[in-house]
Amino acid sequence: MKNLYRNTAPEFKTVDSVEILPSLKHSLSNNIPVHIINGGSQDVVKIEFIFNAGIWQQKKPLIATLTNTMLNEGTSSLSASEIAEKFDFLGAHIGFSASKHDASVTLYSLKKHFSETLALIADLIKNSIFPEKEFKTILTNKKQQYQIDHQKTNVLAKEKFTEMIYGKNHPYANIYDSSEFDNCSLQDVKEFYKEHYTPNNCHIIIAGKVDDNVLSEVEDLFGINKWTNQSPSIDFDHKIISSKEKSAFVCKDDAVQSTIRIGRKLFTKTHPDHTGMQLLNLILGGYFGSRLMQNIREEKGYTYGINSILISHLKDGHFTIVTEVGAEVCKAAVQEIFIEIKRLREELVPEDELTLVKNYISGELLRNLDSPFALSDGLKGNLPFGLDNTYFAQFIKDLKAVTAKKIMELANEYLQLDDLYLIVCGPKECEEAVAFSN
Amino acid sequence: MIEFDKFTLKNGLRVIVHRDETTPMAAVNILYNIGAKDENPERTGFAHLFEHLMFGGSINIPNYDEPLQMVGGDNNAWTNNDITNYYLTVPKANLETAFWLESDRMLSLAFSEKSLEVQRSVVIEEFKQRYFNQPYGDVWLHLRPLAYKEHPYQWPTIGKSIDHIEKATLEEVKDFFFHHYAPNNAIMVVAGNVDTQQVKELSEKWFGPIERREIQERNLPVEPTQNEFRSKRIDSNVPFDAIYMAFHMGKRMDEDFYIIDLVSDVLSNGQSSRIFQSLVKEKNLFSSIDAYITGEFEPGLFLITGKLVEGVAMETAEAAIWEELNKMATTKVDEYELQKVKNKVESSLVFSEISYLNKAMNLATHELLGDADDINKEVEKYQKVSVADILNSSAKIFRKENCSTLYYYSKK
Repeated sequence: MKNLYRNTAPEFKTVDSVEILPSLKHSLSNNIPVHIINGGSQDVVKIEFIFNAGIWQQKKPLIATLTNTMLNEGTSSLSASEIAEKFDFLGAHIGFSASKHDASVTLYSLKKHFSETLALIADLIKNSIFPEKEFKTILTNKKQQYQIDHQKTNVLAKEKFTEMIYGKNHPYANIYDSSEFDNCSLQDVKEFYKEHYTPNNCHIIIAGKVDDNVLSEVEDLFGINKWTNQSPSIDFDHKIISSKEKSAFVCKDDAVQSTIRIGRKLFTKTHPDHTGMQLLNLILGGYFGSRLMQNIREEKGYTYGINSILISHLKDGHFTIVTEVGAEVCKAAVQEIFIEIKRLREELVPEDELTLVKNYISGELLRNLDSPFALSDGLKGNLPFGLDNTYFAQFIKDLKAVTAKKIMELANEYLQLDDLYLIVCGPKECEEAVAFSN
Repeated sequence: MIEFDKFTLKNGLRVIVHRDETTPMAAVNILYNIGAKDENPERTGFAHLFEHLMFGGSINIPNYDEPLQMVGGDNNAWTNNDITNYYLTVPKANLETAFWLESDRMLSLAFSEKSLEVQRSVVIEEFKQRYFNQPYGDVWLHLRPLAYKEHPYQWPTIGKSIDHIEKATLEEVKDFFFHHYAPNNAIMVVAGNVDTQQVKELSEKWFGPIERREIQERNLPVEPTQNEFRSKRIDSNVPFDAIYMAFHMGKRMDEDFYIIDLVSDVLSNGQSSRIFQSLVKEKNLFSSIDAYITGEFEPGLFLITGKLVEGVAMETAEAAIWEELNKMATTKVDEYELQKVKNKVESSLVFSEISYLNKAMNLATHELLGDADDINKEVEKYQKVSVADILNSSAKIFRKENCSTLYYYSKK
């Protein structure tokens, strides 16, 4: 064919704005906030009940998670196996998760079965009874899973890292010993449930095919006079105690690779430097074309993957680089990571690289926020900060305005060698990688 | 119902277009009919290593990723024992960039020595990360050769061992490319916010000029029928004992595939499933247990994998699994129970159709197996299964002499 120039890229358009399906806010008559994202091609509904019942609110390890998991294990009218039987027959999926500041119950249901599946969820949330036998089974199985996970270098390195930046007893570290599984009491779980799974401690996000029927069914089951417990308003407080030592080696002698973690405590996504640091993070290790990926994987072949990430919890946050490398190249990999960070402090990011990263992240946002379900996850992350999904449009706008000079300033302000923690977990021979300093 | 258009270029490239207006994106998924089963037994892991090399620059474009990232695109790929599948997504306005990139690497790679050298190391680290640096990670390296004696499914996609990957040469890479990567050995699905006319024009423009190639004939050894129980014992540095049982079953396109898939669902899909209720919740023998099928194109495996609760004897755990399997093979399931797993399958299909990329991958696989339109007949095939089918297929599969068992002991 004539005029086919294979060595020239076709013309393209940049994504300048992200059109996002809006969320509507509604209140049940007992004031439970309900956020609705209506859309999508399939006749399905996702509804998530979010409670301020996370690790932040628990007084002992594991209680938030166990309470959340146990919601599936029996109510005053249904046993655990009857609950499972009903959800399975209706082709519904339920998910339970407890995180730092909240715990949630999520239902994925075909629209045609929504009334029945919602009634079941209401029963779990309002009438759980926490049977002893199911509790024991869950403790045994979770303990075994804990012990398997703690064979992994990436798990051990992550624990050491969060312990050092937040402090051993801080909820953001959430560190506990396997013996805690033997000390858990069902009484603590029941009390946690009573205090935290209440209407004034709850908000709801509904996504998918949401019509007036869906909303009125939610009102009927969760609105006024149906559900009366109230949570006392307690302000939980946890102090961050960062370690003065900045490096640590965790020995795992039978490992064939070592995990490297380098990072620091930073800030939440409401901090004025957050958007700039997001861009810096992308350039350094936030996508496949990042400098760390190109250097450590695509140039040197030290690893299958290397990533960096900014984590924003509600009250604080951190930045971290993670990779798993062959034991023999551990020291060299650590050195290269520090070299890449130094480059950010000392050299301006070239304009073409900056443009590429800005284009990439705009596309990424468009890709990740294209369905009601994905948007509901985004909304869940934004709401605790007093934001909604309009945050993403503003984020793109602000991100596009970040200059190379700004990135260099941020690198100098936040990524000095003295600020960074270094953790290596692997066989004995990797210990020398930790001794490395500039 | 997934609607699509289908056409074939003169060079044999099959193209399928599925329009989904709910996304601002477009996906391009290219499936090459080449997998780990086509490898030389002395050079296993090659198809997967080759997948990495497909990102090392093509004949006219030195870097694959950068131009894609520049237009807001993202990509990845996976290899299994049957196929190698490449996919990318771009904002719909930048669809042509995808055609430009994908057609150039179908035309020819850059074949760089440096890329081979680096990707060999990357894949070796992947091997270590997935198979040796995880508790129980090496199970497939033991179980596949126990179940298969002749057929190439005896090795996992990553390969039999690291030294096979170390030996790969650039000559082998070139040879592999020209015998397996060709328009007439590929299926392209374009899905998302796209229209067929535009896709036709772009396909003709960018893929049309690529010449048809001679594809190496596939001549796979047939796995002889297993006639005796096989087992192997591993003692490893893991916290708990585990058991892995593999039973031979039929091909993906066999009549009874859907029946056996439902057998696995009765046993272990969802919290109400039989082995979860009986062996995890009631008897407390396992901390986790799962039954599933590999779903491979050639005769595959029905698997049961479980981690034992500390203190439970291997023999007790094994006998309890057999008790459940024997029940399946001798007593009909309830109509209700069968309806339940059918409902679950139907529901999963509805949810899986939310993602345009998922639909693209599934259309490509169905087209390779026979006809893309089979994607719309799946529910019906599951609905047709009867309680007698479940009984008969269970009796056929769950026999001791059809079983290979890996006893994975904790050294603790």
